[in-house]
Amino acid sequence: MAHQLRKSHPLLKLVNHSLIDLPTPSNISYWWNFGSLLGFTLLIQLASGILLMMHFLADDSLAFMSVAYTSREVWYGWLIRSLHANGASLFFLCTFLHIGRGVYYGSYLNENTWNIGVLLLLLLMATAFMGYVLPWGQMSFWGATVITNLMSAIPYVGDSIVTWIWGGPSVNSATLTRFTTLHFLLPFILMATILTHLIFLHERGSFNPLGLISNADKIPFHPYFSAKDAMGMALATVLLMTLTFYFPNLLGDPENFTPADPMKTPDHIKPEWYFLFAYTILRSIPNKLMGVIAMFASILVLLLLPALHTSKRQSMSLRPLSQLLFWTLIADFFILTWIGGQPVQNPYTLIGQTASFIYFFTILILLPLAGMIENLLIKPLRYRP
Amino acid sequence: MGPEFGRLAYVRHVITYTLSPFEQRPFANYFRVGLPNTWRRFRSSVFRVTPPFVVAYAVYSWGTEENERLKRKNPADYANDQ
Repeated sequence: MAHQLRKSHPLLKLVNHSLIDLPTPSNISYWWNFGSLLGFTLLIQLASGILLMMHFLADDSLAFMSVAYTSREVWYGWLIRSLHANGASLFFLCTFLHIGRGVYYGSYLNENTWNIGVLLLLLLMATAFMGYVLPWGQMSFWGATVITNLMSAIPYVGDSIVTWIWGGPSVNSATLTRFTTLHFLLPFILMATILTHLIFLHERGSFNPLGLISNADKIPFHPYFSAKDAMGMALATVLLMTLTFYFPNLLGDPENFTPADPMKTPDHIKPEWYFLFAYTILRSIPNKLMGVIAMFASILVLLLLPALHTSKRQSMSLRPLSQLLFWTLIADFFILTWIGGQPVQNPYTLIGQTASFIYFFTILILLPLAGMIENLLIKPLRYRP
Repeated sequence: MGPEFGRLAYVRHVITYTLSPFEQRPFANYFRVGLPNTWRRFRSSVFRVTPPFVVAYAVYSWGTEENERLKRKNPADYANDQ
């Protein structure tokens, strides 16, 4: 056999094992595209972000102006900025669809990969939260004020922690500079964490929609899924470019076109769309500390999914009751997102509290119960000699 | 590291037959079989996927109207004003 460098070279064989000769189930659907799409989106964010950083000035008197200068005077600065802002939305869209795939097809049963995935979600949310503060618009400043203030709910040490994060008595220039530093640093930590996510995934290989062992029916990643992933990236690029060129401010808040003013509070402080579901859960509980705990719990509950899996079957593809509950959870997620963008008025408060309850009730009680009921519905196989 | 071709699974007594791609029509039965099959797949999943979204839309619609109504004065309260 001819000497194959891709299998013997110390570095190339790592690439070969992950992207070329990787045994992949033949039946994985488009829901399996979102992992590679997330990597693709991360590269877009890294490239556009580094280019933006070359012109960004991390001082409260200069930040807003530097972003405006980048958009207006730097060659294709408007495009780089728009790509970065809308790329963040694409990042979260792909993340939610990737997690949804995980919940539906029981991917959480690969526990190491899943737990690192939850860590990745938290890192991503921290990165995006800090990135939104950098343009130093009204929503940047006040969103940072609201969310960092939540840490004061921690008993005894809360106020000290908040002052330590701020670097002063309120959100100020020191806050901006440290958020800039961390927003630059975290994506590289994200990349390293993604590598460990993939290492654990490749120990066992990908799952598949049927939830059955597919070792007898695997095909090489290249050319089948390299081509499929390339097509997915092309479609995602079309979506990103449509947003970037035709509707660049569709997902943004007009308040952020106003420079930050600590003396003027906006009427409706709200985060970007991808945080609205958590914002609803936060605001649904009147007690500040419990609201913060509920908000973090809404993400950390994902870590409980492996323990809550009661079905004998991994995937929901042949489990109608669980499917109905899954789509209820997704519709509830839409309701939570809608309510997060609404003011604290009736009946939005009632709907938000109900939707928050349904979110936790479905994950913690109903889905495990459905799994147990479906186990009873499986017809036993009768042995006929 | 991890599973590799050659040591994935031992499968015996399975014989596969394939036809050369040059002996096949690339989009054979694409519409004649494909469209009814798409309808079958839609039918088998539509009543598990859409009901929650129908309910969610009803909640959204009611919530928006109710919020508008609550922001308005009730004309009946002022019926006897002179």
